[in-house]
Amino acid sequence: MNKMELKFSATLENEALARIAISSFIAPLNPSLEDISEIKTMVSEAVSNAIIHGYGFDMSRDVILRCELEKRTLTIIVIDYGKGIENLEEAKRPHYSSRPDLERAGMGLTIMETLADDFEIRSVYGMGSKVIIKKNIALKGEYVS
Amino acid sequence: MESKIRITPFEDGLVIKIFGELDSSKTMLYKERIHKEMRSNGPRFLLFDLKDCSFLDSAGIGMILGRFNEVEKLKGGCGFINLSPYVKKVIRISGLFSVMKEYDSLMDFRKDMGVKL
Ligand SMILES: Nc1ncnc2c1ncn2[C@@H]1O[C@H](COP(=O)(O)OP(=O)(O)O)[C@@H](O)[C@H]1O
Ligand SMILES: [Mg+2]
Repeated sequence: MNKMELKFSATLENEALARIAISSFIAPLNPSLEDISEIKTMVSEAVSNAIIHGYGFDMSRDVILRCELEKRTLTIIVIDYGKGIENLEEAKRPHYSSRPDLERAGMGLTIMETLADDFEIRSVYGMGSKVIIKKNIALKGEYVS
Repeated sequence: MESKIRITPFEDGLVIKIFGELDSSKTMLYKERIHKEMRSNGPRFLLFDLKDCSFLDSAGIGMILGRFNEVEKLKGGCGFINLSPYVKKVIRISGLFSVMKEYDSLMDFRKDMGVKL
């Protein structure tokens, strides 16, 4: 198993860093462009949620991105020790956002759930949140839209 | 590719072309750019060209939906051109195709929206 961990300040500028890091991490598998794009989208959803909702843009706090690769199965874990989610049921509902003032579409969790082969979110209100995503990286030419 | 936005007016609307990555760090800035253009031209039809958009997530979806809600109040509408399979998939998951369609060209979009020439 190959693994890596990245810890960065909770600022949106670092979202691109998280995307680049995971792209480089999976590059040896020669993934399809579609898989890379979808993985980047899922990472960005999880990381932006940690920054915006978990930490409320408090840059003094840290987001953790952990990646594990077992054969062609990628596990992505995004952790924040921020606000946590009071009502997970409500949070997961498509179009629900606690920050419509920021034009959030409320589709982040839905997009992650749909693009992932396996998706889990754990949260303790007042303690933080953890997103666990599993994605099987196809051999090139296997992509189904 | 550098991430940026290019806005080109046509009769009663704007073609909004997104280059590079449309993420949470860009959406507020792009919203302001589009608003500035909307104030000076009062367009009712917005066509989003995503040919060179290499990254999309729900932040971009929220920004596009926000503009749709604004022009809808003016009896206008929005559309897309040049969607890659990946971009299309993100849009489809987010449900945005229920309010905006994909078109083959600006001409197609204008015809469908009934833009007066
Ligand atoms: N890491 C997190 N910490 C705290 N709240 C979160 C976190 N992730 C998601 N949420 C809550 O779940 C809601 C839905 O998340 P999401 O589907 O990504 O929509 P959006 O980010 O557009 O609001 C958020 O508005 C927020 O209230
Ligand atoms: Mg989100």
